[in-house]
Amino acid sequence: MVGIALALPAGLWILQVNMDEMSAQWEGRPGLSVYFTLQADNASVAAVQGYLEDQQNIDRVELTTAKDALEEFKTYSGLGSALDLLGSNPLPASLQARFAQSIGPIEVELLINETQAFAGVAEVVVEKTWLERLNELSRVVSRLGAMLAVLFGLGAVLVTASSVRLAIEARLDELRVLKLVGATPGQVRRPFLYFGAIYGFGGGVVAAMLIAITILVIEPPLQGLLGSYQQTLDLAGFGPLFLTVLLLVGSGLGILGALMAVRQRVRDLEVV
Amino acid sequence: MGQIRLQRVTKRFENGFEALSEVTTEFEAGSMTFLTGHSGAGKSTFLKLLIRADTPTRGQILVNDVDIGGLSAARLPLYRRHIGVVFQDHHLLAARTVFDNVAMPLRVAGMREREVARRVRASLTTVELLGKEGLLPSHLSTGEQQRIGIARAVVTRPRILLADEPTGNLDPDLSRHIMDLFTRFNQVGTTVIVASHEIDLIETMGKRILHLEGGRVVSDRAGDSSTESPAQSDPTESVEVGS
Ligand SMILES: Nc1ncnc2c1ncn2[C@@H]1O[C@H](COP(=O)(O)OP(=O)(O)OP(=O)(O)O)[C@@H](O)[C@H]1O
Ligand SMILES: [Mg+2]
Repeated sequence: MVGIALALPAGLWILQVNMDEMSAQWEGRPGLSVYFTLQADNASVAAVQGYLEDQQNIDRVELTTAKDALEEFKTYSGLGSALDLLGSNPLPASLQARFAQSIGPIEVELLINETQAFAGVAEVVVEKTWLERLNELSRVVSRLGAMLAVLFGLGAVLVTASSVRLAIEARLDELRVLKLVGATPGQVRRPFLYFGAIYGFGGGVVAAMLIAITILVIEPPLQGLLGSYQQTLDLAGFGPLFLTVLLLVGSGLGILGALMAVRQRVRDLEVV
Repeated sequence: MGQIRLQRVTKRFENGFEALSEVTTEFEAGSMTFLTGHSGAGKSTFLKLLIRADTPTRGQILVNDVDIGGLSAARLPLYRRHIGVVFQDHHLLAARTVFDNVAMPLRVAGMREREVARRVRASLTTVELLGKEGLLPSHLSTGEQQRIGIARAVVTRPRILLADEPTGNLDPDLSRHIMDLFTRFNQVGTTVIVASHEIDLIETMGKRILHLEGGRVVSDRAGDSSTESPAQSDPTESVEVGS
């Protein structure tokens, strides 16, 4: 029980760490598309193209003229003859810029604003690739993880407390005698605190095992998925420090639960 | 040491029942007293107040001039280490050996294992059960179990020894034997109070008899002065108990 309680938030933490890692080393980078108005002349387009090409945050800029766009549309849509009837070209020119690896969200925002300010620019669209979705998801996951950690931490404490309560009931006679012969509350409590610590530690071990198994199960398919994007997977986070923290937190929650259970029960215990 | 004074002690339970009413009495250090009275007279309640398993509703209990009602949670265990308690149903732990049962108060007090072993053997010698250390309580007869309970109560050489119906389910010979044991502990200076409704038996003991009825002291008869003997050697060390 404690194992599962710990495994979920801890697992989510690992997931989040790895999502961050993945987005940090992402190479299938997204970009920016600038759509011009139909009236925009070549000079306006060239100005924007020049501006973007000068940016350090942008690797490459490609121009799709209105004519190119129409050709492309004709080829891919199969509606070529229908478009001929229109007489004039309904498609605007556009620029496709590709972001440099180092770009951050603030720079992207800045670029959009600056680009939008140019004459003839109708719309600037950021290609929302699954990089950004990943980032958003990562934020959601980390919040979910924090919430679950609190919830399950509480759960782990309560579960331990109820186990310790059972252990206490099973040893009431002994506790009575201990109190009668002058054991201090600390002496009476101690074995149960050990019990709680071991219980919580065991929970930590189970949690670590659950996470390890999950990683083993999801790694191959994930590798395959990412492989197609030239992405190498190297799961981060599941190291000695993580394990130590997991086990310590487990033991700590166990002790907390044991304390909760034992405190009142031992104080109120009648000696005869 | 071992002096107990009760001043107008009243115990009223939550249901309003008054088990003890305005009890004022005194037990001198090194004295021996039988507490008697019919079932429900308040004998057990009286002893429970003395080990502070409960507190008086009104009045004071002074042990060596200290009001035990005012003992802090930290001091209470230390107070209890000076008191030996024996019950009718001996409260032995079924899963522990005789040795471990008797050793409990010493281990709680943090005594070294070597000294524990020595004291436990001395205590078992006193109750004539040396050699049974390795057995479980369930392997012993009722009378033997009761004597293990006594061995546990005296293993710390307490200043005060309290017993609640210690001969409750024993035959007359065994009862007499147990009562003699208590007398021997008293002879080394321990203040002994034994609650018992076996009037016939305790009348033959020649000790003070405090009679309770309905929570009040109805008579208080001093013991024969001839039986009040001065302190001798420590019975947990050497005394042989006659049968
Ligand atoms: N916790 C309690 N709440 C209410 N009444 C109680 C409680 N404990 C004891 N009593 C009552 O107090 C009275 C005295 O009880 P006590 O156990 O002291 O009697 P006793 O003299 O030891 O009797 P016995 O010889 O049967 O052991 C009894 O009438 C009992 O019902
Ligand atoms: Mg009683």
